[in-house]
Amino acid sequence: MKTLRIGLALVSLLCMSGMGLESATAAETSAGSAVMKETIAAYYYARTDAKSEIRMRIVNRQGQTRERRLTLLRLDKADGGEQSYYIYFHEPADVQGMSFLVLKHPGGDDDRWLYLPAIDLVKRIATSDKRTSFAGSDFTYEDVSGRDFDEDEHTLEGEETLGEHSVFVIKSTPKRPGEVEFGTRKFWIDKATHLPLKVEHYDLKGTLYKVYETQEIQNIEGTPTITKAVMKDLGNERFTELTIKSVSYDGGITADLFQERSLRRPSPQWIQ
Amino acid sequence: MDSVKKNSWSRIGLFLAAALFLALPGKDALADDPTKNIHGFAEAVYGPKLDQDGLTRKNDFNFMEQRLQLKTSCRPDQPETLARWNTEFFYKGDLLVDEREKTARYNIREANGVFSPFSWIDVKLGRQILTWGTGDLLFINDVFPKDFESFFVGRDDEYLKVPSDASKFSLYHPPVSVDLVLIPFFTPDTPLDGDRLSFYDVFLGRLAGKESGRLLTEPPLQPDSTEVAARVTRNFSGTEAALYGFKGTFNQARGIKNEDNKEFFYPRLAVYGSSLRGPAPFVGGIVSGEIGYLDSLEDRGGTDRLVENSAIKYLAGYERDFPEDLRVGIQYFIEQIMDFDALTVNARGGDVPRDRFRQLMTLRITKLFWLQTLEASLFTFYSPTDDDAHLRPRLGWKINDQWTATVGANWFLGKHDWTEFGQLENNDNVYARVRYHF
Repeated sequence: MKTLRIGLALVSLLCMSGMGLESATAAETSAGSAVMKETIAAYYYARTDAKSEIRMRIVNRQGQTRERRLTLLRLDKADGGEQSYYIYFHEPADVQGMSFLVLKHPGGDDDRWLYLPAIDLVKRIATSDKRTSFAGSDFTYEDVSGRDFDEDEHTLEGEETLGEHSVFVIKSTPKRPGEVEFGTRKFWIDKATHLPLKVEHYDLKGTLYKVYETQEIQNIEGTPTITKAVMKDLGNERFTELTIKSVSYDGGITADLFQERSLRRPSPQWIQ
Repeated sequence: MDSVKKNSWSRIGLFLAAALFLALPGKDALADDPTKNIHGFAEAVYGPKLDQDGLTRKNDFNFMEQRLQLKTSCRPDQPETLARWNTEFFYKGDLLVDEREKTARYNIREANGVFSPFSWIDVKLGRQILTWGTGDLLFINDVFPKDFESFFVGRDDEYLKVPSDASKFSLYHPPVSVDLVLIPFFTPDTPLDGDRLSFYDVFLGRLAGKESGRLLTEPPLQPDSTEVAARVTRNFSGTEAALYGFKGTFNQARGIKNEDNKEFFYPRLAVYGSSLRGPAPFVGGIVSGEIGYLDSLEDRGGTDRLVENSAIKYLAGYERDFPEDLRVGIQYFIEQIMDFDALTVNARGGDVPRDRFRQLMTLRITKLFWLQTLEASLFTFYSPTDDDAHLRPRLGWKINDQWTATVGANWFLGKHDWTEFGQLENNDNVYARVRYHF
């Protein structure tokens, strides 16, 4: 009897995944791609350069809290293209003074360096797996610096109203399933700002396990900017709150900043 | 136990560093108040020995200590020149209560000032930690002093590096940069002296501890004994190439001055080398290679059996990450002794047997658990030519943002008493450390 039940469950699972594979029309895919391109540009490539201070509050099942505070500098070469990131950690105390340099190459592995001030060591970091947690939070490296547009198929599922926002609903499915821990992601994208308001992550079995929500958007120097967001891990009953402060755009960040020199000698103008 | 004949001048570095700080402008002249910018940690460590060979001064434990580390930095507003040069002073000191030595010591880890008289140059003066090269716990062109005693008994990795009293000039012209380091005050590697760890004593021809009684004579402070190290690096779209040069002395007492009173000295040394590091094509991960020619200036022909021969050191490394926070790194290292025939011809009975090509391999496996709060790692050295190995398992837990706890072990294996890790065979140890960060 038990075997039969498992068998039935498997069959229904197969049917469900078959339904999921039901091919999206070409029109839905091209519409989805267009929306997602705009979203990536608005979210990860806003203006040409940006400086911000990021605070993360990581809360686990027991309610214990860990905090991170870092300065993030970004410079784009072209929207959707090559980008440089510089990250300087202020808190917690055991990583204070540590810094990261990331040269992002869409379609390939990023170049990433880590500086450990206590031993004056500039370490090169292998970056094959971009789905690892960023600084122990519920956000992954890809959540922070963006996932390549071409990694997923984006289809427009429909249009809805979310709160007071009119949104596109996009489903993104990895082109090479099994390489990442999620099966699909579903985006609710604000039509006005192109910013994601909500992202649901479904695992390979189709179970919802992680939810991202934008909690605050501010207009900074004319650019709509997410200043508060949360990532909830449903299975582990934990979440990370992200607060983005002191955002400034096009402040004259130059390519010189994304060199080993900035790791060893952070520029006070940029990290404070 | 060894006695070390120190040039008393090496204290001058300390004095200069202290003077640098006394000369600091008053509080009003600072853009930030250094007293509000104090970070550091307090820790307690206990490291019992697993073997008791009766050789070292205390046989039940390697170390039991409490340490308070404080660091602070400030940027002066006045005088105007310092502000314009974007000057920053940095200070880091350790107060160590050593239950083993029954002493309290204060060590200045770093005390330096950095400034940029021009946009393309950084000058760092004072006590500082210096590191370069591509090796992971293997060093060829990184000629700066190390404390392997701390490393082998299980102090934090930070203490493998010994600070240098030096001037560092870094010149930038992207994608090229040049570093020039002048070290007027010689600082050797911390010697294995039989106090905490027993070692192979070449005069006794066996493992020795406190009774060894070697004399290590450091080079005198003279204008021409200033050590010079230089590096030129260039980034070729993600691949970093570097050239290195060094003229100074061995950091270990690799020469015997007087066999009768067991007096060792630090022979003069030049090193020329290069390295490459970049993404591995097709397979992902980071691949690196480094080479260095160590020119033993006081025994260029290799005929003097009392002074270390010249050598070429080769290193190849590969590291990559896997899903679920797993990282694996491997390295292969060869030390080729030059003028090996001269070494063999001149050797006498009792001299340590050497291989023309000494090989060493390392494997590092690191895995993070619980959203990167628990780190399990194993670093292994293994030499097929020396028939010895050193294993370093470690478990580190970030309990919360303030507290960390670490346990680990150092395990040594060896067929012979005279090899690098074989000599430490009776020094297996474990350690436990608790730290509060602020």
